[in-house]
Amino acid sequence: MGSIIAPIVSILVGGGLAVATLTGVVTSQTSAPEQSPGTINTPEFNYGATE
Amino acid sequence: MRGLLLPTVWATVLAVLLLGGALGPGYVLSYDMVWVPDLRLGADALGLGTALPRAVPSDAVVAVLDEALGGMLLQKLVLVVPLVAAGSGAAALVGPGVVARLVATSVAVWNPFVVERLAIGHWPVLVGYGVLPWVLLAGAEWRRSGVLPARLPVLLILGSLSASTGIVTAIAACAAAAQRGRRRWLALAGMLVLANLPWLASGLLHAGSATSSADGADVFAPSGGGLLPGPLAFLSLGGTWNAQVVLPSRSGALGVVMTVVLAVLAVLAVRRGWSQVPAGLRRPLVACWVVGLSLTVATWALPGVTGWLASTVPGAGLLRDGSRMLALAAPLTAVLAGRGAEVLVHALPDAFSRAMIAMACVLFPVALLPDAALGLSGRVAAVDYPEPYADLAAELRSLPQGDVVLLPFQSYRAPSWNNDGRPVLAPLGRYLSRRVVVEDRLVVDGRPLAGEDPRAADVRRALEAPDERQRAAGLRDAGIRYVLAEQLPDVDVPDVEGDVVRQLAGLILIDLGPAAPEPRAPAAWMAVMSLAWGGWIGLAVIAFVQWMRDRRRRATR
Repeated sequence: MGSIIAPIVSILVGGGLAVATLTGVVTSQTSAPEQSPGTINTPEFNYGATE
Repeated sequence: MRGLLLPTVWATVLAVLLLGGALGPGYVLSYDMVWVPDLRLGADALGLGTALPRAVPSDAVVAVLDEALGGMLLQKLVLVVPLVAAGSGAAALVGPGVVARLVATSVAVWNPFVVERLAIGHWPVLVGYGVLPWVLLAGAEWRRSGVLPARLPVLLILGSLSASTGIVTAIAACAAAAQRGRRRWLALAGMLVLANLPWLASGLLHAGSATSSADGADVFAPSGGGLLPGPLAFLSLGGTWNAQVVLPSRSGALGVVMTVVLAVLAVLAVRRGWSQVPAGLRRPLVACWVVGLSLTVATWALPGVTGWLASTVPGAGLLRDGSRMLALAAPLTAVLAGRGAEVLVHALPDAFSRAMIAMACVLFPVALLPDAALGLSGRVAAVDYPEPYADLAAELRSLPQGDVVLLPFQSYRAPSWNNDGRPVLAPLGRYLSRRVVVEDRLVVDGRPLAGEDPRAADVRRALEAPDERQRAAGLRDAGIRYVLAEQLPDVDVPDVEGDVVRQLAGLILIDLGPAAPEPRAPAAWMAVMSLAWGGWIGLAVIAFVQWMRDRRRRATR
């Protein structure tokens, strides 16, 4: 029984992670661009924000 | 160094995937990272300017090397090579096992620290990060053999291109090479002082203005961000103060999962895999992790103390952005992840299961931080400078000598041509071949933080005068001959009396007429900095001599 479970779990984990990696990378590249942290309409350009 | 070919190839693949569009034609301009075709080797780069030596010796190194390689190619090398070095270095630290080496490589290259420092443009910190594992290895070799490896002085120079990264490299070198005996300590201390001498000497010369705003400690304190509170975020190497450079995936559940996975692998490594880590590296790895994490947690927990130090002790402002110290925690984190993965994989009964779980372990950093791919999802894509910049630089070369002030007098810009308004330190300040006085006051959360450059303060005062004639006179008194006004939407630029020399798209160059002599560093400062640069170059000579000795010793064997 144990000899069957290990390959199944490893397929789920390894294969799942490989698919998730590919999907994550592709999705993050094709999703709508974020609002740029800088905005050209701000009189004082922020170096950053803590929140 | 056997067995490092595969991790080095993997590190290169990851580095290229991570940088993506940053490696395309053009320049990466993001926050503090401003690369230009030909950086001027001026007083500021040499530590002789009026501002604190924040980019010493890094700017001088770039100004010299871009003469041979050009700014664009040099920037690509500076972005890729440290990441590959960090990955292959982690593989060299982790000990035997292909899985351990590849996982350590993945964690060292693809983690929140690398992403945050790349986004905020702290490239000297990334160079120091890439050098760090190799400093540990060379230091441990020196301790074991008693013979100074010729590469150690070179690594110390590369790892000390800015003040904060010089401190990180020094801590790592001490942790790895320290041994009882006065001679060893003297030799190590001597090399560390020489490697850091340009910024140390310049910092001492600027001691009068080297205290920083106490407000900054609160603002620049390390931060958790998203679902992870401070100390837990630090365990998985994230913790920048600037929420704008944290990727969305890091702020959500994936950040928590990454911390949990790293913790599980670390527990497995400590229980079952620690003996596989080379004996001479265990203590230095742990020492670096403890120091790096302690400093980060301390600046997170006690910003008031950091602020008091920064505003009281010259140079203590270096401690303000404490999360930079997390570089010290990265080598042990990568090693434990690698060893933990090796334990996990070898606990499985068959080759197929081992292969699948090994693949999962190697890929998990990418899977849990997917938006870091391809230049942080385009955030650090290379861009071209607008054409008028080159025309303006050419025009200035033909004009009489004189310093330039850049208006609007604000330190940062968000130009629409830079990835749709990515913030960056005013690029014209570095693009032109003249000394350009720029504002050094930073604005965070809409709140201005006091600067330290007395010349910037003079310019600020001059611009506050009630009319254009008085402004021009005040600027001339401050040694400014030219005003370069950038026309930005909804940003007012104060009028200044003078002759318009050139008007380009969005840029106006005004000549105010002959100005007061530009402030020059006193002769004593020149002498001190000449000695400092001499000592710094001398360390490279020591490395060369040591390399020759090694060669001779090997030849006589």
